[in-house]
Amino acid sequence: MTTTAVRDNSNIRLFGLFMIKRLVQAAVVIAIVSVIVFLLLQALPGGPARGILGQAATPAQIEAFNHEMGFDLPLIQQYFNYVSQWLTGNLGRSFVMNEDVSSLIAQRLPKTLILAIAAVGGALLVSIPLGMAQALRRNKPFDYIITGINFVVYSTPSFFLGLLLIMFFAQLLGILPASAPQGNTVGEILAQPKEMVLPALTSGLAGVATFSRYMRSSTIDNLHEDYVRTARAKGTAMKRVVARHVLRNSLTPVVTMLGYYLPVMFGGALVVEQLFNYPGMGLLFWNAAQTTDFPVLLGCILVISLATVIGSLLADITQFILDPRSRGGVK
Amino acid sequence: MSETTKNPTAPATPARSSEAAMSPTRRAVRQFFSNKLAVLGTAILVALVLFSFVGPLLYPTEQVSTNLMASNLTPGEQGHVLGTDGLGYDVLGRLMVAGQTSILVGLAAGVLATVIGTLWGSIAGYAGGWVDAVMMRIVDAGIAVPGIFLLLVISAIVRPSESMMVLIIGLVSWLVPARLTRAEALSLKTRDYVLAVKATGGSNTRAVVRHIIPNTIGTVVVNATFQVADAILLIAYISFLGMGLQPPATDWGAMLSEGISSVYSGAWWLIFPAGIAIVLVVCAFNFIGDGLRDMFDVRGQQ
Amino acid sequence: MNQNPTPESTRRARRAAEPAEVALQVSDLEVDFVTKNRTVNAVRGVSFEVNRGEVLAVVGESGSGKTITSLAALGLLPSTARTRGSLQVAGHQVLGSPDSMMDTLRGNVVSMVFQEPMTALNPSMKIGAQIAEAILNHTEASKAQAHERAVSLLEKVGIPDPAGKARNYPHQLSGGQRQRVVIAIALACNPAVIIADEPTTALDVTVQAEILELLRQLVRETNTALVLITHNMGVVADLADRVVVMKSGLVVESGPAFEVLRTPTDPYTQALLAAVPKLPQMQLEQREVSAPTVPDAQEAPRRAAGEEILVMGEVCVDFTSGTRKIRAVDHAELVIHQNQIVGLVGESGSGKSTLGRVPLGLVPLSSGRVELFGQDISGLSRRALRRLRSRLGIIFQDPGGSLDPRMTLGDSIAEPMIMHRKELADPGRGFRERRVAELIDAVRLPKDTALRYPHELSGGQRQRIGLARALALAPKLLIADEPTSALDVSVQDEVLTLLLELQQEHGFGCLFISHDLAVVHSVCDSVSVMRQGQVLESGPAARVLTDPQQDYTRQLLASVPSPDPEAQALRRQARRELLALGSEGK
Repeated sequence: MTTTAVRDNSNIRLFGLFMIKRLVQAAVVIAIVSVIVFLLLQALPGGPARGILGQAATPAQIEAFNHEMGFDLPLIQQYFNYVSQWLTGNLGRSFVMNEDVSSLIAQRLPKTLILAIAAVGGALLVSIPLGMAQALRRNKPFDYIITGINFVVYSTPSFFLGLLLIMFFAQLLGILPASAPQGNTVGEILAQPKEMVLPALTSGLAGVATFSRYMRSSTIDNLHEDYVRTARAKGTAMKRVVARHVLRNSLTPVVTMLGYYLPVMFGGALVVEQLFNYPGMGLLFWNAAQTTDFPVLLGCILVISLATVIGSLLADITQFILDPRSRGGVK
Repeated sequence: MSETTKNPTAPATPARSSEAAMSPTRRAVRQFFSNKLAVLGTAILVALVLFSFVGPLLYPTEQVSTNLMASNLTPGEQGHVLGTDGLGYDVLGRLMVAGQTSILVGLAAGVLATVIGTLWGSIAGYAGGWVDAVMMRIVDAGIAVPGIFLLLVISAIVRPSESMMVLIIGLVSWLVPARLTRAEALSLKTRDYVLAVKATGGSNTRAVVRHIIPNTIGTVVVNATFQVADAILLIAYISFLGMGLQPPATDWGAMLSEGISSVYSGAWWLIFPAGIAIVLVVCAFNFIGDGLRDMFDVRGQQ
Repeated sequence: MNQNPTPESTRRARRAAEPAEVALQVSDLEVDFVTKNRTVNAVRGVSFEVNRGEVLAVVGESGSGKTITSLAALGLLPSTARTRGSLQVAGHQVLGSPDSMMDTLRGNVVSMVFQEPMTALNPSMKIGAQIAEAILNHTEASKAQAHERAVSLLEKVGIPDPAGKARNYPHQLSGGQRQRVVIAIALACNPAVIIADEPTTALDVTVQAEILELLRQLVRETNTALVLITHNMGVVADLADRVVVMKSGLVVESGPAFEVLRTPTDPYTQALLAAVPKLPQMQLEQREVSAPTVPDAQEAPRRAAGEEILVMGEVCVDFTSGTRKIRAVDHAELVIHQNQIVGLVGESGSGKSTLGRVPLGLVPLSSGRVELFGQDISGLSRRALRRLRSRLGIIFQDPGGSLDPRMTLGDSIAEPMIMHRKELADPGRGFRERRVAELIDAVRLPKDTALRYPHELSGGQRQRIGLARALALAPKLLIADEPTSALDVSVQDEVLTLLLELQQEHGFGCLFISHDLAVVHSVCDSVSVMRQGQVLESGPAARVLTDPQQDYTRQLLASVPSPDPEAQALRRQARRELLALGSEGK
């Protein structure tokens, strides 16, 4: 049955409402993450002092440290101290590396982001057409083969995949270097494209498997929609229907999923950076885990969570732009 | 069969009594076995389980104490079918033992994650309102932190035993099933047959237990298989990062991690068997999960 | 021929006598669907033709093959289809034509209007662009020209503010407006024939009347042929010049609409027409004609009213959507007595379903008084409320969703008994099984149905099971929310007859919610008319539906098409006058 239409609301007002709602949600999520991180800090055996000073510290040193750092204050107060520190960009100090955590992260994060962009960008470029092609040739040999390959790639741990790639391209063929770009600044990293290929490939292949599966099922769903039939009934050739109508509508769920893919990607970064010795956040985190450098560990978690939340927000915004229905403003 | 006024794209056909007389479960099982990939996955899984659990009975090897005298042997030497590793462990035998760990821990962790996630998600979805909002924000927060990072931090504090590993992975992985189940519960909650229960004086418990949960089983089971697959991968990653189980306990991921240093020495038997084993088992679970998903989808469309 | 030639029949006869230009010609069309398991013969030899400026109705129930025929005309059959025979649009042979050829014909020589306006348009593309696409596909026009033409088309199909609407997205338009857009797309290239497949089935009855008026006008202005596929005899009577009746892939009767609708020769057609519930003529319409021409509309049998079982007073239901508060029900009053069937009618958004859910506790009550079986429910404990609700039965509209697909039908029917076994003093499984068997028998289904699953049954059969379940605890009040709206006409007739018989036997009160006024007339003792959350009018069904007090009710009644062409012509005229009066008063 029909519904009565409501007067069209201006897009700007809708966007405003939407942003407020999402920002509030994001803030709540970040707050919860901060609590988790704080609790983790408290959960360390021997308390945070032990974590920071290390195993060799004497009880007296620990007590002095606790008092100085305010660890003997009530929990709630400590939490608020932390939050106010974090809000001003102070993530603590790494006693192992003798540097501020925030500056360490500021150095390493851009490099991880470059790798991520290269990996995801490449993955999308391949998987979107691939997924669509599969959908259009559903249940034909092409579809089965690609699905099979996707399964195998998806089931392969990334370090094994990376290993195989190194063995094939670096050792056997010798055309690509086996270790990642090294350097302190972003510029230095970008100047070594050849070194970037294998790490990006390793990171990206798993993404191709996931994204193309999503694209495939999204395209299949859209191909069955009524509006495709209407477009055909207008005399639009099938190819054009796919390009003009189906593509845009099929992209929406994939884009939304991208936002949720960020944590997976950061997790993957850990492994890939360790394998290729790439000086990004992942390697920083791993080194910190080896040396139980807790300020670094927790600072990284906080920053990555923040990045993930922002990523989800961006994905939601993109969906708002791509899918007019999601904007609301109708009864 | 349909007498509705909606337009069919293919003509209505009368229900064939022999086919229709089966319960939904039996029809579903038949559907599953007609999916070649799913059958292949099941076969691979069965083979690997037999290999890991029955194998050591047929090919017993020493997997606890090391034997440095017989280390780094090539396949075939001294009766070691796949050679030995740096500590003298027989590789083939180690594969079997590692398989037990990978599969068992993966299964347990996957199931744990699914159980927690399903309960959380169904309650959130069915309750709705602010209960739902709060529960899902917690899930969002959990998802925001990549599981591996949390795992690493915890492992840095205390090297986990097998059961701790199950617990930790389960606690990190329940978030995705929670989301999925919540979506299912939300959609099922508005079905007429659920409303009928409430409308004629039935309790919420009855609605959830008798109608919502049985109808989400499809999603839950499908998701469980994927969770197991992911758990096995997660264990492999942890072991690769050196934070996994303590030796002499091992899993395929740890074997692979140790083998990586052999990349340049050409000792392929330290790398490929373990890697391929992981790929096979995860693939198997993914195939099965996919087959299960198709099976439940078709029934939903009827 | 008929006794007194009326203006309507003369008009139609005159048109039939004009020199014809064949727009669509179907000869011995056969369509099979071939899958690896079996072959289905959907269309088994169908022939008809349509001329320009003519409206041909293709009537049938589901499975008749009418939709398949229309898809064949556009070359949009699935790949499993095999066709034989001939199908020509304006002289071009369609069957066996390559896709490239069909692309030039579709939207250009032959175009189609589909049933579901809500999903027919691309949600992420502007309206104007979607119309322009049809033009750009087939003409040399520039983008700007195509867009201009799109705007003028929007105006032609009666969309207010066409230039503004062209920049909107589909979700910003109502269902009726979207259907007009689809019609605009179909018209864009002046096709020889437009095929409309159930174009108004998904629309409210007043919107339907508008769209039918639009189609009539467009056919006249553009001289396009219109093939109208429908199951609704009233729509046929309103619009069609000729009729083709299909059953199981064959044509069982064809001829001028006048003849087929008034004096059908084929038993299937006769049965179909007999099963259609008819509304009696309104006072307004009887002015012109001396003798009533409608066969006596069946009235609900007289029933003696018992005590009050449901009293709703000043009931308000509010929903919050985001930041806005929407009032779905606005100070509504409703009273139901024992042994009475009370109809609640309205279009979508009227609040009738919401009001019906209030006694069931499925929607929150913002304010007002509800007395169920003499007790005010606001003061009751949860347990007492549950006990009270055990005397309610409910049937829903969608046969597909009303039964748990994982439970056997017997279990579904027995569930109310299990839920309330404490009150029934737990009679045990034996008693329940016997009762289930009784109920299945009462709804005229075979005994073994108890062991089957919902997917094995047809829609009508599932509704019967729904009835059985609703009656499991011998309810005093049955709430039926559009129970037959999703069913074919003949099946609807069976289910309604069953409902009436069961009511006769058990004497329960019933709240019958429907958008179909004719059905309400044939079933209900009294009727309440709702609009935008308010109850506008209430009273005995016979009175409200023939001599309504409110303008809206009159308009509603005038919009329901009658299956008698003569009566429908009068009704149409009455509706036009009502609308003219309404707009004058503003």
